[in-house]
Amino acid sequence: MADPVDLALPSSSATAPAQPLPKPATENTPSQQTQNLPIRDSKTAKTPAPSDKQSGKAKDVSKPAPASADAPGATGADKPLTPAELKKKAKAEKAARRAKEKLDREQGGAGTAGGLAPGGGQSRPPTAPKKDAAGGGASQKGQKAVPPRRGSGPTGQTGAVEHKKKKEDKSVAVFGHLYGQQRRTTIAGAGKEVHPAVLALGLQLRDYVVCGSSARCVATLLAFKRVVESYTTPMGTSLARHLTTHLSHQITYLSTCRPLSISQGNAIRALKLSIASVDPSTPESAAKATLCDFIDNFIREKITVADQVIAGSAAQKVQDGDVIVTFAGSSIVKQTLLTAHKQGKRFRVSIIDSRPLFEGKKLARALANAGLDVQYSLVHGISHAIKDATKVFLGAHAMTSNGRLYSRVGTALVAMSAKERAGGVEVPVIVCCETVKFTDRVALDSIVVNEIADADELVSAAPPQQVTGLTDPVTTTKPADNKKGTSSAPTTDPSDSSLTASSSPLTNWKDTPNLQLLNIMYDVTPAEYVDMVVTEMGSLPPSAVSIVHRMSTNM
Amino acid sequence: MATTTERTAAASSKSFDIVATYNELLRSDPDLTMPIAAIEALVLVLTHSPSSTISETLDLLEKSTAHLKKSIPNPIGLSAGTDLFQRYLITTLQRPGQLGPAGDFKAIRTHLLSNGRLFIRRAKESREKIAAFGRGFIRDGCTVLTNGGSRAVASLLQKAADEEGGPSAVRFRVIYVLSSISKNIEEPSGEPEGMETVRTLRAKGVPVSTIPESAVAYALGKADMVIVGAEGVVENGGIVSRMGTYQIGLLAKAIGKPFYVVAESHKFVRLYPLGQYDLPIEQRVVEFRSEDDIAEQGKQESSVDANGDKPIELPLSDSVDFTPPHLISALITDSGVLTPSAVSEELIKIWF
Repeated sequence: MADPVDLALPSSSATAPAQPLPKPATENTPSQQTQNLPIRDSKTAKTPAPSDKQSGKAKDVSKPAPASADAPGATGADKPLTPAELKKKAKAEKAARRAKEKLDREQGGAGTAGGLAPGGGQSRPPTAPKKDAAGGGASQKGQKAVPPRRGSGPTGQTGAVEHKKKKEDKSVAVFGHLYGQQRRTTIAGAGKEVHPAVLALGLQLRDYVVCGSSARCVATLLAFKRVVESYTTPMGTSLARHLTTHLSHQITYLSTCRPLSISQGNAIRALKLSIASVDPSTPESAAKATLCDFIDNFIREKITVADQVIAGSAAQKVQDGDVIVTFAGSSIVKQTLLTAHKQGKRFRVSIIDSRPLFEGKKLARALANAGLDVQYSLVHGISHAIKDATKVFLGAHAMTSNGRLYSRVGTALVAMSAKERAGGVEVPVIVCCETVKFTDRVALDSIVVNEIADADELVSAAPPQQVTGLTDPVTTTKPADNKKGTSSAPTTDPSDSSLTASSSPLTNWKDTPNLQLLNIMYDVTPAEYVDMVVTEMGSLPPSAVSIVHRMSTNM
Repeated sequence: MATTTERTAAASSKSFDIVATYNELLRSDPDLTMPIAAIEALVLVLTHSPSSTISETLDLLEKSTAHLKKSIPNPIGLSAGTDLFQRYLITTLQRPGQLGPAGDFKAIRTHLLSNGRLFIRRAKESREKIAAFGRGFIRDGCTVLTNGGSRAVASLLQKAADEEGGPSAVRFRVIYVLSSISKNIEEPSGEPEGMETVRTLRAKGVPVSTIPESAVAYALGKADMVIVGAEGVVENGGIVSRMGTYQIGLLAKAIGKPFYVVAESHKFVRLYPLGQYDLPIEQRVVEFRSEDDIAEQGKQESSVDANGDKPIELPLSDSVDFTPPHLISALITDSGVLTPSAVSEELIKIWF
């Protein structure tokens, strides 16, 4: 008795959205009939036409359809709700299964990644630490997750199982291995060992409040300095041994908020090395002071002073009358351009920016405030912007050992446009990069190692508030620094932005079949497109990156 | 050299004239390269100066280097030498022990000067080394295209000719590109740079053909390789060289012939030009002028001679261009045969 109802109802409800208006009426009638004539039920479910015929009276009822539409919810509370409840139960199960499968797929995805690009996969370990878990056997599960997407196209309209699969396919296949765990949304569940400063930093990193390779590196080191300051060695262990594990809790937490940058990784490695080299016999306070000094020195040597040196030597390459193209908002490029401006050089800057972070806006504002001539355009205007360019300055997230530049997605496009300009005249592409961003990894493409951000960032029309402090660049130009002051403005503005966001056709992208969004963070620029890398150790061709990296780490 | 010391000794009451010394050194010894002349001049400066402390020495060095660079129209070549010498001094002074900062300064000074001389002697020998490395590139029956008046190239070719066994067994040929602009400004009709090498090679029995610069593309089909000299090798592996080298490089690349550069490793400069117009020198090769401009200049200068555009900064015959690294197959240096990207490695080794 219960079974036929179960069979009948879900199918009719599934078809309902696609059917014309009278159909809800048929849905009602069988449900009423089931109470009266249970035997008919299976027939009505399969062929709606006889039910229409049979229930001549029911047609009258079907006229006030909107009224009766809510009726089943209220009147049929005893019977139709059971399927609803069952559905709910099934959904809960589904959710649990999905979560499990997702976990499997993460590991499996890593496995397939190795299979997809054997050269790259072997030559270097993937960024995310969870990849270590990727075993050979896991790859099968990863492949299991792939077929449903292909199958889901034709059979998309039926059962709950299909529905579930559809929801899962929102990750782009080629980048499947990069969909690690979701970025942490709250500090709930963080280990009790995690220092408050690190907790706060994690959220700042996640929300791009602290954004940019150098800034993230400095912020991490400063947070770790506070960790070291407030650290006391437990009984029975030595500082050199225990502090490292204590730090690794912090590091794990940070990496769940956002995958660590190369610079962060290098800084952490240096810090751990210096912790390990602490003599066990030194008193704790002295050891902590040494470590804090080390952190301060590291920041000063590798970032602050290095930036000054780089800005100084890169500014020498700026000449009167230059038109400098830059992409997004690199802090070191900003410093370079400001230095050149202070030296009295007269040049124009053309900033190319991209969604969804709009990092170039901050740079444009800073340069314009300093009195520079700034042109701002988005990346789709690149061919126009590059037309009168004389030099391209780029920031870096990392430089790989084969001389390739790993930087904000879109950088490769800008470099390519500069080097392969139709006019035939090449524009030199200059990368400003501290040696702390050098890595011994090798990047062959931007697929094997990359970072995927939340695709919802692409959906919202307005840029994240945290980045610029402004909702729309066109409306106002408030100073960015007094975020506290302008915090009242965002409270009013979100209504607008949410309005535009909700009107965006992509808002329901997760429920739209055959639609995937990709919000990739980085890309790899081939070494041939880079003429010069300006570092604090001098200017290098990209081919010399590995040598300098070796030398700077050996020291 | 004796004359210079005498001359400077006479003028020692006033400050030592490093520029004159440098020019004198270059003129007196035709085998001397610019960086070596610069180092020799700096050593002489130190010899003549009464400096008694390290910082005073370094200060003097810096001042005379800056002065020298300012007064020479094309300081690219010599800056390699001055940078190298300065670097050498600093590393020597930083070294611990008797010759370090703690030691007796007089001992340090004499040590520095004697080592400086040793350095110069070694640098002069480096051409022999290059010739030994590069000889393998010139094989039986090949034709070499070269240009300019590079002494390193000349010594390489001569060495190759000698080794092959004299006039009876010459097995390679040379196409020598002669510049149309005379080296000597005083007598424009004088023989072009490189004629001496041509004569020497011919005397050794090597068949040499001389062609004008305009015939390079035409003649390159008959050549198997291009070997050129360099005034300076820059950090990205490109070279700064006599005007016309860049176009030979481009043509060789287009035709697919290997393009080798012969340069002593003391010619490596800490310089990173991004293009032709990014060199730290002023040269007016391309000058736009209308009839009015010429007339005005004619009024200013009473005599307008045939080669009208004679820039004050750098004579046209001495102008240079930049050959980017992607055109260069290999650099034959005294520290081995290097790819262009290895140059930066060598430079980093020197500097860090």
